[in-house]
Amino acid sequence: MYRYLSFIAPLLTFLVLLIFWEFLVNYNKVPLYILPAPSDIFLSLIVNYKDLFSSAFITLRITLFAFSIASSLAILLAILFSQSRLIELSLYPIAVIFQVTPVVAIAPLILIWVGFDNAEYAILILATIVAFFPVLANTNLGIKSVNENLHELFSLYGAGRYQRLVKLQIPFALPFILTGMKTSIGLSLIGTVVAEFVAGSGTSTGLAWRIIEAGNRLDIAKLFAALILLVILGIFLFLLISYIEKIVLKRWHDSSNI
Amino acid sequence: MLTFKDIVKSYEEDVLGPISIDIKNKSFVSIIGPSGSGKSTFLRLASGLIKQSSGLIGYNDNLKPKMGFVFQDSNLLPWRTVLDNVLLPLELTKEDKSKSIEKSLKWISRVGLGGKEDSFPNELSGGQKMRVSIARAMVQEGSLLLLDEPFSALDEVTRRRLEDDLLEIWKTNNITILFVTHSVTQAVYLSERVLVMSSGPGVIIEDLLINKKIDVGFEGTHEFLSQVKHLTDILRNEGI
Ligand SMILES: Nc1ncnc2c1ncn2[C@@H]1O[C@H](COP(=O)(O)OP(=O)(O)OP(=O)(O)O)[C@@H](O)[C@H]1O
Ligand SMILES: [Mg+2]
Repeated sequence: MYRYLSFIAPLLTFLVLLIFWEFLVNYNKVPLYILPAPSDIFLSLIVNYKDLFSSAFITLRITLFAFSIASSLAILLAILFSQSRLIELSLYPIAVIFQVTPVVAIAPLILIWVGFDNAEYAILILATIVAFFPVLANTNLGIKSVNENLHELFSLYGAGRYQRLVKLQIPFALPFILTGMKTSIGLSLIGTVVAEFVAGSGTSTGLAWRIIEAGNRLDIAKLFAALILLVILGIFLFLLISYIEKIVLKRWHDSSNI
Repeated sequence: MLTFKDIVKSYEEDVLGPISIDIKNKSFVSIIGPSGSGKSTFLRLASGLIKQSSGLIGYNDNLKPKMGFVFQDSNLLPWRTVLDNVLLPLELTKEDKSKSIEKSLKWISRVGLGGKEDSFPNELSGGQKMRVSIARAMVQEGSLLLLDEPFSALDEVTRRRLEDDLLEIWKTNNITILFVTHSVTQAVYLSERVLVMSSGPGVIIEDLLINKKIDVGFEGTHEFLSQVKHLTDILRNEGI
């Protein structure tokens, strides 16, 4: 019962809000360039679907790219940390510095270095930086959380570093890694969009650029349409990782909620 | 099997010793004592997981035997099936794969879990998990089995069944068992010999050979009760 309710209740709420919005806009005759009604936005989505969907695809592609690079690098770095305390002590603070630096602030620098002709690379780099830290921190935590008795068990059978890493630490850290990824995928999208904004028009034509463009033309309906696609992308990506998490961890649920 | 000579273990302070003791081959020895007396430390020293600060540990034929360790929690790897959990020791020591599987299956059925090979730990009860843990500890067929309060988290009925199964395994496999427990009755019921440790730094304050004339129904006998009382009195004087 609650299963369905958790799905139906927010959907109904959302619908009611939409109807209310539609009604308010029509009743007060709010001009299109201030606040379009849901029906206008839907219409704009259909009329502009070519632009919008190709832009959404570009944003999605960079997001997934950035997420993959960030996750792989972060996992590798966390593994490296687990092998050498010295490396961890030396590099972790640098990772933290990257994490606390607002991406908008370094965007111009990266753009200059990469070159304005390669704005897509700059966006990729920026999104990667933003998405990097949660996976690093969570993987690191996961590897450190391995129970002492399990380590002793491996010692008893003379396990080497490699066996310990592959047969104990990495599998143990898996739920942690996936938790990090769930945060990270959202950040990749945010990072991509922010970087697209900073990179501005020209070579990049992701959703952020559509939003700027529509704003400049006071095509608020299209702006909203782009925004909605962005939200849908975000939800889709989150669900994707949640689904992967569910499949990977379905057999060992007690440890997936440590 | 195992000899401790003037063993002392200290971290910042002494936590154990000096202890000198000789554990006979194929014996079943229980260790009881107050919390913090160093019982777990004793087992870790015996297994070589930690090194003594001073003293000598000797094994039969001067060769460290293969051994199994059973912890208070079953400590299974949740991402592995029962079979793969039991396989782990053989995998880590790089034994032949098909022989390993054969041995593992044998031990899984020995501990009464035949048919559960492909189950994951979260699909098992506490007692079943402990059985897997015992199978894992035995699969190398080593000669020494160390158990650190293995059944204390289980309910009474399950615990009793596991105790009897452990006795059976001990008898049929010619192994030496070191068994740490908080329960005096459990120690007297299971073992041939009970060591009592003082509060920390633990030394052995009583070394009692259990007088057990009959196996079945031992718990009801006067002998059983008087030995339990004797050990309980010693522990009480230690201030538990
Ligand atoms: N790695 C360690 N570093 C410092 N002190 C330790 C360490 N391991 C154990 N100790 C100390 O050694 C003492 C004995 O610990 P041990 O775990 O052997 O006791 P125990 O008899 O098994 O207790 P319990 O019945 O609670 O399990 C304790 O005071 C403990 O704090
Ligand atoms: Mg202990």
